[in-house]
Amino acid sequence: MSASLAHAPRPAAAHENRHPHIEIVTSREQRRARPRYVYALVGVAGLFAIFLAQLLLSIGVSDGAYAIAKLQAQEKELARTGQALTEQLDTLGSPQNLAMNAESLGMVSNATPVYLRLSDGAVLGAAAAARGSAGAMGGASLVPNDLLEGVPLVTAAAGEPEPLGVASTEATDGSVASTTGSPAPTTPPGMLPAPVTR
Amino acid sequence: MVREQRSTRMRLALSIVLTFAIVAVFVVRLVDIQLVRAEALNAASLDKRSVPMTSYGVRGDIVDANGVVLADSVDRYDITASPRLLLSGSNTTGSEMTVLDKLKLIAEETGQDPNDLMLALTADPESDFAYLAKGVTVDVFRAVRDLDIGGVFFELRPSRTYPLGAVGGNLVGFIGTDGPQAGVEFKENDCLASTNGTSTYERGADGVRIPGSTVTTTEVKNGGTIRLTIDSDLQWFAQQQLAQKAQALGADWATAIVVRVSDGHLMAVADYPSVDPNNVNGVPTTALGSLAFSTPFEPGSTFKAMTVASLLDAGVISPSTQVVAPGRYVFPNGDYIKDAWAHDDLRLTTAGILMNSSNTGISVISERLDAESRRNYLLKFGLNERTAVGFAGESGGSVPETRNWDQITNFAVQFGQGVTATAAQVASIYQTLGNDGVRQPLTLVEGCQWPDGTVTSLPPTEGVRAVSERAATQTVEMLETVTTQGGLRSILSMPGYRVAAKTGTAEVAENGRYTSDRIVSVAGLAPAEDPQYAVVVTFGKPDTIKTSAAAAPTFATIMTQVLKTFRVTPSTEAAPAIPVTW
Repeated sequence: MSASLAHAPRPAAAHENRHPHIEIVTSREQRRARPRYVYALVGVAGLFAIFLAQLLLSIGVSDGAYAIAKLQAQEKELARTGQALTEQLDTLGSPQNLAMNAESLGMVSNATPVYLRLSDGAVLGAAAAARGSAGAMGGASLVPNDLLEGVPLVTAAAGEPEPLGVASTEATDGSVASTTGSPAPTTPPGMLPAPVTR
Repeated sequence: MVREQRSTRMRLALSIVLTFAIVAVFVVRLVDIQLVRAEALNAASLDKRSVPMTSYGVRGDIVDANGVVLADSVDRYDITASPRLLLSGSNTTGSEMTVLDKLKLIAEETGQDPNDLMLALTADPESDFAYLAKGVTVDVFRAVRDLDIGGVFFELRPSRTYPLGAVGGNLVGFIGTDGPQAGVEFKENDCLASTNGTSTYERGADGVRIPGSTVTTTEVKNGGTIRLTIDSDLQWFAQQQLAQKAQALGADWATAIVVRVSDGHLMAVADYPSVDPNNVNGVPTTALGSLAFSTPFEPGSTFKAMTVASLLDAGVISPSTQVVAPGRYVFPNGDYIKDAWAHDDLRLTTAGILMNSSNTGISVISERLDAESRRNYLLKFGLNERTAVGFAGESGGSVPETRNWDQITNFAVQFGQGVTATAAQVASIYQTLGNDGVRQPLTLVEGCQWPDGTVTSLPPTEGVRAVSERAATQTVEMLETVTTQGGLRSILSMPGYRVAAKTGTAEVAENGRYTSDRIVSVAGLAPAEDPQYAVVVTFGKPDTIKTSAAAAPTFATIMTQVLKTFRVTPSTEAAPAIPVTW
């Protein structure tokens, strides 16, 4: 191909000066077929729009990634808190702890329950008063629980076991020294506060 | 002209060759990178960005019949440190703090001695890894983390706690460093065990995970929840009562079992001593399992109820059969069987034999049935084989072949000497008597509930008839005379309820001779007119009282609590008067 190109210019150069100036005029069809600037602009703008959209999208996605990372960290912390609290609750709810506290509050269990049958109002069972010594613990928990070590009784804050835990905290708040022997002022000794019934 | 053309061709050829050579080099390199070394390069590049992650599967909980958690999986943390970083003094906070100052801060939170921590660090100062504290709680972990000391790191250590401590500790078992060691933790490990998941994700320069880059290689799988038949409150009560009495009596060991008669479900299995799974080292190794399942012993007179039921079923006696129980049942060679108290000939009915717990009386009525048939009845009551619970380390006791029975053993097995059974088997006998003669498989595990809600490991429910309904009912009626007319009636009777019970005072054999040691027990059913719960209380080798009177108060206390816990309706009719003498 380069060989034929090398030959061609020679005759043309020879006749150049003799010929009049001739220019090829583009036909209407050709002019119409030529691309317009508008199209180019639209194309370029579209391209930019796509780039921009992609950029914004990836910014959005990575923003989401940070939000997810933050929420996941938060979830982890909350799960830890939840688990620690559940653990604490389960330990405090263990029968050893409940029974020790109940007894330190002066509660006793009645070994002879009596039932009221609703269908005919019959009282079933032989009623007997609970004995003061009927507490199941007998003063010491013999069923060990390592997790309860260092967990104080609810009455521990009051210095000595009081018959009513609700009142005892109020009573000892201001007067730690003067509570020895004196009953809680809000409720007379031996009386339980009336339950709220509907 | 020609030379010019040639040189043009030469240059053309040269450039073509060069082009192809360069392309060839690129292709070779491309193949090398993309195909030959692709994996290694991929891995290396991934290593730069990707982070491997272990997601810990959670070992399943063990809960009681009401859903109270007995064994729980919790997160604990190991605090580790890089001695090299710490000792060289490069840190993020104030560089004027000495290493010991930092360790003091940590020790304050973990409750350790800072000098111990220093020792741990200086053991290998060039190392990049040393443990400072193992298994600390979330609170401690957070406190130490907030100190923000450079060179200190944290590792998750999934751990196990037992919120109720020793309540059911004998049954639940525990986990050692090598995995589950005892009890349900060991036996039901297939259900409880979890699988850790592994995955990798890619992270950006600031450590934030790149979205969509997580690749999971192993799915994390949580363990299932094991539900026991135990009622944890009752279990605690039984353990507390048992321990109190066992300490007062100076007993070596003690067990108390509560069984629901209708289906053989164990409501409580208390052992003394029993392990607190949170502190396994607190008890001798013999107390790590459940004595009620692992320890066979000669149970003594509690077997008499089974003997009477068997003979009733065989039709050789009736409740009113009149027997003369001699003071001594003498064999031709001069050996003899006697009762716990000296007496002349007693004119007893079958009920009277049970009420008085007469060994000679039992021997007289046992003459009426051949040894092989009597042994078959023992086997039908579940002796000589392990219970359906299949507890870790469970024993099945032993009932020797009849050809090995000598003349004394021939009758002694009928009152619980010369044979051994576990406390669980004795409980099973009374369950059978209370359940109209049908022995239900003892059940400790209700099932394994998987995270998707399916339940597997369901216990067997097929019962085996040991004796006829009539024989069982009559036996329970006769057992009621023990609490209405027997010597321990003041202790064993419970206001409002009819109770059937049998005492047992068994001699303990050591090295082939019976010693002065005793195993005392009381087994019984309530309410007697329609038994719902069977309770067996046993004390091994008590020091202060060596008769069944030692076990009776605890039996009564536990039985009362059982009736209260399960809201058993009090009896409305008085016990029938059954003649015990003639």
